[in-house]
Amino acid sequence: MVIIKRKELSLAERLYLPEIVRGLTVTFSKFFQKPITRQYPEEPLPTNEVTRGQPRLVVKDDGNIACVSCGMCEAACPAYAITIDGGETDRAIEREPKRFDIDMLRCILCGFCEEACPKDAIYMSDELELADYSRAALVYDMEKLKRPASALRKRMDYVNHINDRWRT
Amino acid sequence: MTKITVNGREIDADPKKPLIAACHSNHVEVPHYCYHPGLEPVGSCRICQVEVQQGTGPARVMVACRTFPAEGMVVQTESTKAHDTRRECLEFLLKNHPLDCPICDKAGECDLQDYTYSEGQGEGRTHEPRRKLEKRKSLGDVIVLDEERCILCSRCVRFFEEVTKKPQLTVADLGSRSTIATFADRPLTGNYQGNIADLCPVGALTLSKFRFQARVWNLVKMASTCAECSRGCSTTVEVLRGGEVKRFRPRENAEVNKWWLCDTGRFAFGPVNAKPRLDGSHNRASLAQLCNLLAQDAGALIVASPFCTQEEGAALLEFVRERGAKALFLSPAPNALKDDLLHTGDPCPNRRGLTELGFAPLAPSEIGSPRTLVLVGERSAELAGAALAMAQRVALFDTQASSAPNVALCIGVATHVEKSGTWINVDGKKGVLGAAKPPPNAVRPLPNLLTELAALLRAQPAPR
Repeated sequence: MVIIKRKELSLAERLYLPEIVRGLTVTFSKFFQKPITRQYPEEPLPTNEVTRGQPRLVVKDDGNIACVSCGMCEAACPAYAITIDGGETDRAIEREPKRFDIDMLRCILCGFCEEACPKDAIYMSDELELADYSRAALVYDMEKLKRPASALRKRMDYVNHINDRWRT
Repeated sequence: MTKITVNGREIDADPKKPLIAACHSNHVEVPHYCYHPGLEPVGSCRICQVEVQQGTGPARVMVACRTFPAEGMVVQTESTKAHDTRRECLEFLLKNHPLDCPICDKAGECDLQDYTYSEGQGEGRTHEPRRKLEKRKSLGDVIVLDEERCILCSRCVRFFEEVTKKPQLTVADLGSRSTIATFADRPLTGNYQGNIADLCPVGALTLSKFRFQARVWNLVKMASTCAECSRGCSTTVEVLRGGEVKRFRPRENAEVNKWWLCDTGRFAFGPVNAKPRLDGSHNRASLAQLCNLLAQDAGALIVASPFCTQEEGAALLEFVRERGAKALFLSPAPNALKDDLLHTGDPCPNRRGLTELGFAPLAPSEIGSPRTLVLVGERSAELAGAALAMAQRVALFDTQASSAPNVALCIGVATHVEKSGTWINVDGKKGVLGAAKPPPNAVRPLPNLLTELAALLRAQPAPR
């Protein structure tokens, strides 16, 4: 059995009122400070290039999707969230995805897909919100995943910068 | 047999076969691109170099595919010298090889990729641009050539020279501009073109029907047997995500098809992928209905499909014998695809097996117009053809429903890629079937259905 000795109170503490005043000083001083509570969802969370949100597909400046459906992200995905079916195109790069699904309910936002991609085609965006009325609606298809390269530019630069540190 | 020493281990080698064959049969890995056990070795890729020492001479680096075992030969496959030489060869092979593994269909089963991962250096040392050649050159309906990826191993050229004996390809032009080309740019012909896509050690020759269809590591592979003729070539069925069959590839079998497969068999995934499939949801009602039909007509004609396995055949034989009927299987006329390499022209994959069990062949024209016709097994309606319409009532065990007006009932069965079993080919060799994917909802094995039907019939009161 452990006996915990009660703390000896000082005279000021035993007088009760001074301690009440001290506590209320802290409370009232906060009235004059900037509030730290965030009014989510009216007020969105701050994001930056380090934010690892949901994966999104890059649409290059020429309007074509950067993905060549090589299946590296699909293979790297630890949650089996990605399903890709490839197909042929007439462009110089002969291959493109015909179907690119990410099951956002399976996605654990680990960023392995971003790391695995040899074509800089999938990046973790700063989009974090995920809510809908059905599970099927949360399996995102290619149209829902496409983002222009400009929207992902900051993240792309950041990831390239990180990768450069390991380059010999 | 000759005694040689490979990596310090003494092995018996066949002096008529190249050194690389002796290494491979003793589980010593020697990389190779141009060498193929089914083709004459030419030693053009130089990647199989090993250190060979003979008698009192110095150790030399030699290509294992063009060196033949001699008594007392000492071979080092993993010595520094052999490794360095192979690495240099690899660097030259990769000099002009495009870096498009993410796009290339061969990625994942590419010999060049595998060896580059295990042995190659991380970065190239050349700064010159890689050569630019045609990326998609059609060589007929079956094959698409990517000239940039080609490492000029000439396996495809030798295949047409040595196996089909009808040379169709050649190495055109000189030096770094060399490419694989057909004579006078004519498209490839023949029923064996698909084999060169399998032979190609890189992704230069691709099948137009498989291009960009699937990543090879996503394909579930299962040993099977080709259903397109009575040769029964050993194949591997490759299924994407448990759904569609994407490829049939030859599986090495020295007694039947060696390493080859004809295009008819290779691209025969139409019937096994056909939709809509007949599922087993009405099995109970259909079996009861069939039981009534059979009880009313003691002379019902029961005909097996030549696609029935030995196991299904045995179950059907028991059922038919119990009824005192004749055991018959559908035997359509031979088709015109017969050639002198593999295709027998006989569309019945298990003709020999069913005959050995005691079934007699029945041509569709001999069916006549029975009161009740029961067709049992995959593709039976298709093989019966016009004869189906002659019968008054037809009960069908098939993979797809028939809309013919006289078909009284259909019961779903599995295709040959959805069940395991045995076929016996024209030469009496056994061919295995493996279940590469699950059959549609509630489809049950044919023997189980027949057992249930027999039990139902026994419970039926005797016909008046």
